[in-house]
Amino acid sequence: MADAAVAGYAEALFAVASVEGDLSAVEDELFDFAQAFRSNDELRTTLADDNVPAARRLQVVDDLLDDRASATTSSLVAMVVGAGRAAELPAIVDAFIERSAASRNKAVATVRSAIALTADQRERLAAAIRTSTGKDVEIRVVEDPSVLGGVVTEIGDDIIDGSVRRRLNQLRESFR
Amino acid sequence: MRNQRNRLLAAPLLALVVLVALAGPASASGDSVGACMAEHLEAHGELDSHLLHDEAVQDELEKCFEAPSPILPELNEIIWGGGAFLILFVLMVKKGFPAVQGAMDARANRIRSDLDEADRAKLEAQSVKSDYEARLADAKAEASRLIDEARGDAEKVRADLVARAEADAAGIRERAAAESDAAKAQAIADLRAEVASIALGAAERVVQSSLDAEVQGNLIDAYIDEVAGADG
Repeated sequence: MADAAVAGYAEALFAVASVEGDLSAVEDELFDFAQAFRSNDELRTTLADDNVPAARRLQVVDDLLDDRASATTSSLVAMVVGAGRAAELPAIVDAFIERSAASRNKAVATVRSAIALTADQRERLAAAIRTSTGKDVEIRVVEDPSVLGGVVTEIGDDIIDGSVRRRLNQLRESFR
Repeated sequence: MRNQRNRLLAAPLLALVVLVALAGPASASGDSVGACMAEHLEAHGELDSHLLHDEAVQDELEKCFEAPSPILPELNEIIWGGGAFLILFVLMVKKGFPAVQGAMDARANRIRSDLDEADRAKLEAQSVKSDYEARLADAKAEASRLIDEARGDAEKVRADLVARAEADAAGIRERAAAESDAAKAQAIADLRAEVASIALGAAERVVQSSLDAEVQGNLIDAYIDEVAGADG
């Protein structure tokens, strides 16, 4: 049921963004908002709390995205939050991005790194992934300090972990 | 038995009766002294006082006091005595001796029977004694067997208890050793985990301090090269 709802909302977002003509920008903005939603507990609990009036939740969305995102992106987030689906917002955004990439015959590679990747690094990483997996991917970078250093790439269920955190964990396991 | 005794008593009683019955005629010689004196006095005529002083008469009268022969009894006594003896002898031969013989035989038989009975009783007593001794021997053997058996059981119980105690002690020692090893291993593991945690914490801090932008960029480039080099 939840998966069907996520897929349905993702399809709706894709349709609206496609119609509005700024699909790529909407993807980036929704992706950034979803990452903020994941990392900020207060924002997550506020938007996902049914006891908070819908108007108050929509006001929070408007305050956050008013001058940081396009009107399409704000409207789409307001639609999801207003429908009481804020808890599924990250999953809906992920499905939307995958749906958009799929429309371009690409997969989504979520890259977590301690620092942002340069454009050159993104292109080289996409080429490297295509070389190693045979998939055309679009790189989505998530800055994650817990990685410490290096990169963790997730393509669907596949994970390529080259982080310093993984090496420290391996070192920790070797001590046991 | 009783008849034989009656016969033995009857023989002397019969002899006594015969003697008493024949005593009268045998003592008639006492009466003959007076008669002798009267006869001599009457032979001298009328009796007066002078006659008694006559020496011839006195001699005759004194003859009346002379005792008969000490060896040869009066004839009538011989006859009576001989008859009585014969009767007594016949009675003794016919009745007394058989009775005495019968009593003697009965007594001998009784003694023999008593001896036989005594022998039989002795044999029986010996048999009883042998049986008793055999039973005593059996009882001693049984007692000895029971004692040996009890001793064996006690030894077995003792051995079982000792074996069980040794097994328990070995188990306790083994468990104590296992617990000690486990505690030691746990302590080592805890210590190793603590050391690892401290070392990792220090390593993480060192890594974080050394990961500047250039190093981060180099790590990303190395990762990209590694992914590119990997053939999926």
